[in-house]
Amino acid sequence: MHSEKPKHDFEPKIIAFVCTWCTYAGADLAGTSRMQYPANVRVLKFPCTGRIDPVFILKAFQQGADGVLVSGCHPGDCHYIAGNFHARRRFAAFRKLLEFVGVDLERLQFSWVSAAEGGKWVEVVTDLTEKVRNMGPMTEFKELALEEQWSGAINTEELKEAFNQI
Amino acid sequence: MTQTIDTSIYAAVTEAIQSEAQRILAAGEVTAVVGYAAARRKGSAQPIVITAAADAQKLIFTPACVNNLAVYLTKAKKEIPKSGRIGIVVKGCDLKALVGLMGESQLKREQLYLIGVPCAGVLASTIQPDTGLTADSIAPKCRECDARLPQGCDFVPAGQPVTPELEKKYASEIARLEALTPQERWAYWKEQFSKCIKCYACRQVCPFCFCEQCLCDRNKPQMVDTTPRPAGNTAWHIVRAMHLAGRCAGCAECERVCPMDIPLNLLNRKMAKELKELYAYEAGFQVNDNGPLNSYTEKDDQSFIK
Amino acid sequence: MQKYISEQNLNTLLDLLIKEGKRVVAPRMNAGTPLYEPLGSSSEMITDQLPRRSGKEAFFPLCEDIMSYTKEGQKVELKDIDPARFPETVLVGVRPCDAAAIPVLDAVFSWDYKDEFFLERRKKTTIVGLACTKADDACFCTAVGLSPSDTKGSDLFLTPLEGGGYACETFSDKGETLVNNHAALFSEPSGAKKAALAEPGTEAVDLKKVKAWLDEHFEDPAWDSIATRCVGCGACAFVCPACHCFDIVDEGTEKSGKRRKNWDACGFWKFTHHASGHNPRDQQPKRYRNRIMHKFKYYDDKFGQTLCTGCGRCIRLCPVGIDIAAIVEEISKK
Repeated sequence: MHSEKPKHDFEPKIIAFVCTWCTYAGADLAGTSRMQYPANVRVLKFPCTGRIDPVFILKAFQQGADGVLVSGCHPGDCHYIAGNFHARRRFAAFRKLLEFVGVDLERLQFSWVSAAEGGKWVEVVTDLTEKVRNMGPMTEFKELALEEQWSGAINTEELKEAFNQI
Repeated sequence: MTQTIDTSIYAAVTEAIQSEAQRILAAGEVTAVVGYAAARRKGSAQPIVITAAADAQKLIFTPACVNNLAVYLTKAKKEIPKSGRIGIVVKGCDLKALVGLMGESQLKREQLYLIGVPCAGVLASTIQPDTGLTADSIAPKCRECDARLPQGCDFVPAGQPVTPELEKKYASEIARLEALTPQERWAYWKEQFSKCIKCYACRQVCPFCFCEQCLCDRNKPQMVDTTPRPAGNTAWHIVRAMHLAGRCAGCAECERVCPMDIPLNLLNRKMAKELKELYAYEAGFQVNDNGPLNSYTEKDDQSFIK
Repeated sequence: MQKYISEQNLNTLLDLLIKEGKRVVAPRMNAGTPLYEPLGSSSEMITDQLPRRSGKEAFFPLCEDIMSYTKEGQKVELKDIDPARFPETVLVGVRPCDAAAIPVLDAVFSWDYKDEFFLERRKKTTIVGLACTKADDACFCTAVGLSPSDTKGSDLFLTPLEGGGYACETFSDKGETLVNNHAALFSEPSGAKKAALAEPGTEAVDLKKVKAWLDEHFEDPAWDSIATRCVGCGACAFVCPACHCFDIVDEGTEKSGKRRKNWDACGFWKFTHHASGHNPRDQQPKRYRNRIMHKFKYYDDKFGQTLCTGCGRCIRLCPVGIDIAAIVEEISKK
């Protein structure tokens, strides 16, 4: 039996970049254990958090994500020995950069979720979804996609249409 | 009145560069020397590669010698002969780039003959090249220079550059931006990035942009939009700053060459500042095999990770 | 037709045109950089600085959509851009070097293929030129046969007068229409002396001799010495009033997207890069040779014109100080 889902005005799109060994397995465990978590999250599986390029996060925001989650193995548990250690430094730097150009870091979450932590997965995803829901849609990158250099601007109707399609 | 900056040592520096270049070319110690030569416009200078000892008298050093010549030794510049040891004229800031390139196995110290320049500063971009060096006309990077006398070169002309203490513009601008709200910072960068025309001058002059094919030139997959529109521009500049984080030592060539005056070095300086705070790392002072973003310790900060 | 207009009346004219719904494009400051951009009000216009980019983008923008597509299931819908949407434009305060490039570009955009994007904008745009009162040592319009008071390309040409205001001269129906539609703002010529115009230091270069040398020296060691220093960016082409190469890209998702036309530059390594991986211009000197050849030989061969108006932008902005005026002068003396 599914519990009655509450209705919301805004359902955020959350993109989760996860490593296949830990967090993906953790999410799988949550599913097979019949734990409930928001369906707002779209999971993309990678071999390792070390493979997750900061440009993926940018692309997600550009394509209309309202929040992004990056999650992998706990430090010391990386199946490629040190992938998550490298990722940890990379994302520590990248979030500083995003913050400096004016992205609200509340929309970006990093976490370590092991294959045994189905419960933590549910908690992380639920927290981020609720946080982003309260913040409302991420409009900055969507609006950028509509802006043009002055000389290119010829049609606002089409652009509006494009905006709604993102 | 604007404070003038003493560049009187540059005449002696020029002479010393000429005679040293003449000597090493004639003695066959190097096959070519990369330096600066005068150009047509009054007071202007441009990079030059000389291979004959007789051409050594073309070399100069003036406040218009703004380029970081290290870019000519990278993979991106296949036209410069790699047939032997190369002599190169370097300011302290340029040397930091070379040190970084050595750390990244792009260059070997023994392949280079470094002619260091005692430098009191060079001109800012879009300044008429015959302008005298003053507190107004000096490049912003020179205001916070910590390498007026390059260290560890094969030859450094005598001379002690003197530069008065000047306000550190990058540091104060970064502090100003950090104090704003995310929305205000976004608005600031949006305005700046929207001017970008994707001429890629910032990439082409950067000694560290030596990728055989830039991520942003690839279209399978197309990670960054190539059209010069605000969305793709913003993505490009974020990617650029990220790829230089922990590597850029602040030669500020990207900012100098930007035809649209986008303050690109602000992003690089901000990242340098953060990496110094996080991992106590500063680029460009010694040859390191691993930069801050391709090394780690088990105790690295993870307070931002759940 | 000769007329006089005061500075105040010129501002009134621009504000009137904006109110009429016309796009008024003129030099203005954008975040510290002078650019030709649409004005919100005449007070934004600046007349004392050469914009960093040229006036060509009023006709040939940096980036424009040329088509859009949507796909749903098996249904694909393509949508053309309707050039009828391009607004009526008045391009004001255009420097002679920028205005002179427009008729030169007409030749290539209306040659075998009629480029409706360029031509439609061209048809709907009135060009108001402004004589130059300031030059630096990068300016070389006088070397390529133009001058700070050259009226080529202008529909209406303004020359600053001593004591303020402008002498106006019309050179086309478009220019006359603009004056006649707002006749109250113009008065008869005042007889005041014209203000001192800029004097670029360059002497006229014999472009025939330049072309003659280029005709014979596709292969020459000079190209290496000229362009080994080129780092391969697009700054020179992007600020040039006459460069007109473009590249077409598709951007979007599998569901919808745009086909876009962007400026291209012969300095880029991807320029003329074939799908096979081969590039006939595989080194920087060969790419730079193309820049010089296109400007002073190929375009002359094809259309009898020179693709350079001496604005000096590429000289000021080249990251490595490549000086096209010096190069052309050197070639003319060979």
